[in-house]
Amino acid sequence: MSHSTVPRSGTEAATPAKTPAASADATGARERRGGGRPGLRPRLRRDRVLILMTLPAVTLLLVFNYLPILGNVVAFQDYDPYVSDNGIVSILHSPFVGLENFRRIFEDPDFWGAVRNTLVLFLLQLVLFFPVPILLALLINSVVRPRVRAVAQAVLYLPHFFSWVLVIAVFQQMFGGAGMLSQLLRQHGYDGLDIMTDPHTFPFLVTAQSVWKDAGWGIIVFLAALASVPQDLYEAAAMDGAGRRRRMWHVTLPALRPVIALLLVLRVGDALTVGFEQILLQRDAVGPDAGEILDTFVWWNGVRNQDFGYAAAAGLIKGVVSIGLVLTANKVAHLMGEQGVYEK
Amino acid sequence: MTAVVDRPTGRPGRWAAPARPAWEEEPSKAGLAGKALVLSLACLAVLFPLWIVVVTSLSSRRTIDEAGGLVIVPRGITFIAYQELLGGGQVTRAAVVSILVTLAGTLFSMTVSVLCAYGLSRTGSLGHRWILMVLLATMFFSAGLIPTYLLVQSLGLTDTYLALILPSAVSVFNILVLRGFFMGISQELLDSARIDGAGDLRILWQIVVPLSRAVLAVITLFYAVGYWSAWFNASLYLNDQDKMPLQNVMIQLVQRQQQPVGLGQAIRTGQLSGLAVQMAVMVMALLPVAVLSPFVQKHFKKGMLTGAVKG
Amino acid sequence: MTPNAASSASTGTGRRSFLASTAVAAAAVAGGMPLLSACGGADNGSRDGTTSGKNARKILPAYVASGVVKPDIPSRNGSSMGFTAKLDVGALETSVPKKLGKGGRVTVMSPFWGSPPKQDNPYYTSMNDLIGVDVQWRNQDGNTYDQKLGAVLASSDIPDVVVVPGWNMTGRIPSAIIGKFADLGPYLSGDRVKEYANLAAIPSDAWQRSLFGGKLMGLPMPASYVQNIVPLYRRDVFDKEGYEVPKSADEFTALCKEITRPRSKRWACGDMKWTAFNTFGVISGGEKALGWTVAGGKMINRIETPEYLEALEWARKLMAAGYVHPQFRLGKSQIGDPTPLFTSGELLIWNNDISNWYGVQASQITQNPGFKVWGMDLWAHDGGDPTFWAANPASVFAFVNKKASESVVRDVLAVANVTAAPYGTKEWMMTNYGVEGTHYTLKNGLPVKNDKGNNEVTNAFVMVASPAATIAHPDLPDYTKGMVEWQQRVGSFTRKSSFWGLQITEPSRYTNLADDFEQLEDDIVRGHKKIGDMQQAVSDWKRKGGDRLRDWYSELLDENGPAAS
Repeated sequence: MSHSTVPRSGTEAATPAKTPAASADATGARERRGGGRPGLRPRLRRDRVLILMTLPAVTLLLVFNYLPILGNVVAFQDYDPYVSDNGIVSILHSPFVGLENFRRIFEDPDFWGAVRNTLVLFLLQLVLFFPVPILLALLINSVVRPRVRAVAQAVLYLPHFFSWVLVIAVFQQMFGGAGMLSQLLRQHGYDGLDIMTDPHTFPFLVTAQSVWKDAGWGIIVFLAALASVPQDLYEAAAMDGAGRRRRMWHVTLPALRPVIALLLVLRVGDALTVGFEQILLQRDAVGPDAGEILDTFVWWNGVRNQDFGYAAAAGLIKGVVSIGLVLTANKVAHLMGEQGVYEK
Repeated sequence: MTAVVDRPTGRPGRWAAPARPAWEEEPSKAGLAGKALVLSLACLAVLFPLWIVVVTSLSSRRTIDEAGGLVIVPRGITFIAYQELLGGGQVTRAAVVSILVTLAGTLFSMTVSVLCAYGLSRTGSLGHRWILMVLLATMFFSAGLIPTYLLVQSLGLTDTYLALILPSAVSVFNILVLRGFFMGISQELLDSARIDGAGDLRILWQIVVPLSRAVLAVITLFYAVGYWSAWFNASLYLNDQDKMPLQNVMIQLVQRQQQPVGLGQAIRTGQLSGLAVQMAVMVMALLPVAVLSPFVQKHFKKGMLTGAVKG
Repeated sequence: MTPNAASSASTGTGRRSFLASTAVAAAAVAGGMPLLSACGGADNGSRDGTTSGKNARKILPAYVASGVVKPDIPSRNGSSMGFTAKLDVGALETSVPKKLGKGGRVTVMSPFWGSPPKQDNPYYTSMNDLIGVDVQWRNQDGNTYDQKLGAVLASSDIPDVVVVPGWNMTGRIPSAIIGKFADLGPYLSGDRVKEYANLAAIPSDAWQRSLFGGKLMGLPMPASYVQNIVPLYRRDVFDKEGYEVPKSADEFTALCKEITRPRSKRWACGDMKWTAFNTFGVISGGEKALGWTVAGGKMINRIETPEYLEALEWARKLMAAGYVHPQFRLGKSQIGDPTPLFTSGELLIWNNDISNWYGVQASQITQNPGFKVWGMDLWAHDGGDPTFWAANPASVFAFVNKKASESVVRDVLAVANVTAAPYGTKEWMMTNYGVEGTHYTLKNGLPVKNDKGNNEVTNAFVMVASPAATIAHPDLPDYTKGMVEWQQRVGSFTRKSSFWGLQITEPSRYTNLADDFEQLEDDIVRGHKKIGDMQQAVSDWKRKGGDRLRDWYSELLDENGPAAS
């Protein structure tokens, strides 16, 4: 869930990097190489400091990532946040209602609307966002002047570091009812246009924002993959009479294929997460019919309506399905012969 | 992992094209022009809106009225919007809050992450696989918004700045990148230090950290940008409007079109342009990021990819 | 009422996820709670129902009228009292002879529309000095108040005073109010209120609205029961262009067409939904219980009436035709403060809380002398005699934290006793105009707010409690007159629905039932949803509890009898 913003930075570039698998391999190898392991006590004495060093991070994760899992019991309750002034105490005082919340969710057209919007956005981003960094990377890679490359990269990376609040504010100034586009249209005798509040084009708007913000950043991975193609391959292909286009087809694209496949699979694994903050900020502008996704559905019902049990149930459904998706995606990645996030 | 920027250059003149390999054919004029056009358009798509934001923030009420709103061509520059915003009050306070939370949060996150990454960087150390599992598993699940909210609330973090730092302090991804980089440091070097009697903390501080400047710069930037950009936790956990960071104030002032505390009357009566004030807030939010990130840019590739891919 | 209540106009009842709420409703039904738990019950632990009649009389504060200044225009047809005679600022009376505050610190969370002043500004500090209490404000954006209110009430960190407008009492908020706030009965019931003379002068019908769960809990902000939304218009521009104030829905539409010129950044109006409801005679939507009334021997809800749909359709057409300023296409949490659009002439008609009739005018006086805002008379959509539905005589309440010590409660009451001071007193002057020389200056003997006054004296304090509904603007007496007379004209066509004046807590299983209707209304007006969707929602509402809720209200009416007599 993206409400913890920090870990999200850099996930795009992260993907090929998510290779604890590789490290696990290395670990195994070194251990094996090391031969007989010393006993537990001496190892503890030796590694005590190392373990202590991991404690702060591990504690934070246990408290803020693991412990709340237990809180999902409210999904099975008619949770009353006002029974006490402490969330945990309120859990103890709220009645259990079994699967009632889930039954209601499945009958709730708003929930299914949120599912539909989530999937539509996911597909749209897949089709319209995903290819952009690849194309940009190919373009930049073909630029030979280092200064031009550096400047172009600096410019294109920049929006990645902007907050969603800022990105949406920028879009509002460009495409909103009082924005640049409307202003120009009006000055030239046309009526203004408000793209920011049009529910019909909302999925495209959201995708365009994602492209503006993150497509530039996404090229890092592909540039790296492109850079790792040995130059002799190109040379050999050229010697064999392959032209620009054929070299692209036979050398460059195959080199990118594994990265593309991996990113694609991982994206599918993350299909139900389509930009919580971005959409929450714009939900009201287009109305929930177009602007409600699963994550905002949870927010609305829980934070806004104080219907925590119901919201938690929806969140739990999303969470469970997401785990299934991500595990499946990794499985597929393995079958395709790529490094997944984890190793069996 | 080297080539992107370090492709054979060798020619003097930073804007000049380096030598083209003998086997590569000369590109067509049309192709070059097309490439240049697309690339320029892409860069323009990023820079044009920013230009307008900056120019409008520096324009007077009169210029803005003449332009009918946003200003493309600057006509005289005034810093009045900034003077009003930075003269104490809501936006000044929000900027200070954002800066302090970003500094404190980044320092905390970096300390925790570097320690953890180093602690996990020696393969075969006791419990290291288990701890790694604890870290990795978090990449697969999320406890969910509601339970996390209830927990933070139960811990009494509501309305404290800790709620903006602690729940999102650790990025497992960042730790893995750091760890990957640390593991790439020559073991011989570390072993000799150890033989000299150096403890792990000293090795980390005196050898590992200096050798990892690039990756540390990158990860610091990631954390800092994360804290600087965050608004959701503040909207969720802070009740006191006076504690709100800059992003949340930006939501109020730009997205919800409210007037800054204390400046409402000046804007309602037209003494101050509401639009210029909005733009100035946006500039304040983007400026630190736009200024700092290009400096770190040269490390992105090196820090990120080497760090990550090694592992 | 709230000065900058710009958006309380567009706010009305809260919105809520309709279906989510039915889940709770059904869960509760499944849990087998009794259908009707004692109405008017106080001591049996029941939280729903209402408190009226004999039960209410036992706990209501005694009424002791204050006669500091006689109103020039007495209240008629439910209007406020109007004061138009020249105010002698030099000879103000003192209504609080002895500082009642004990110097404690009181934190107040309150919704705020527009731009709040800085903390510790001269207005706040002088008010605090006058009261003898250090009041610390925790203002929240009024447009999104509901998002914070729930969270704050669930936390252990509830401020000493929380202001809750009636339209934010959705979902579980009413039960939170009953559970989390203090019973003020021991301080105010019966003769005890006499210790606080200005509170004793608050009319009983406002106190009646402050009864929650059988206890006296709220400090009310008395209001005229004439509904508060006025279509404000730029009279200066109307005069210049020769526009006529419309007398029917069709005339209004025609006028909009004449005004709107998007190319020169001019639109006719803002979102006219609330005016549409009024001019089509839709039963009040200000609060849940107000929306029920007996018509033709049957209990009906506003959403079931044909007028409701007609009004929405009319408001939708205005927006679809492009007469509405594009800013209003944004959702209500994003509209922000449209005042600058109105003052700069981007829109000429803006339906708003009546307090802005004066408020907008006053804010422009010093800078834009030619500026003139006025309120349109409400028309009947067909041009005939209109029917309007009464608002409640108090809709905004301040509550005291249950955990507050007695000295904090006393300090809060000291604050309220000053802010509720009647017109003509020193306390009223300070609350509404601030400090002479700092916030207002005397021009021809009349106080005129300067920019600092307009920035700082934004009536945060009146949220804690106010005097009997008063309109008094010594600097603009013709505005006072215009506003009161407007109320009296509208008041003469105003009816009260069956539960007018009562504070009713619905059984918790129904509380979320209608929460999505406001969102749906806004979606329809903006063309995101169709009238057919509303009809569907209404039939779902009936099936999922609306009909049972109807029975509940019918029984409540049988037990209590009609409130409005």
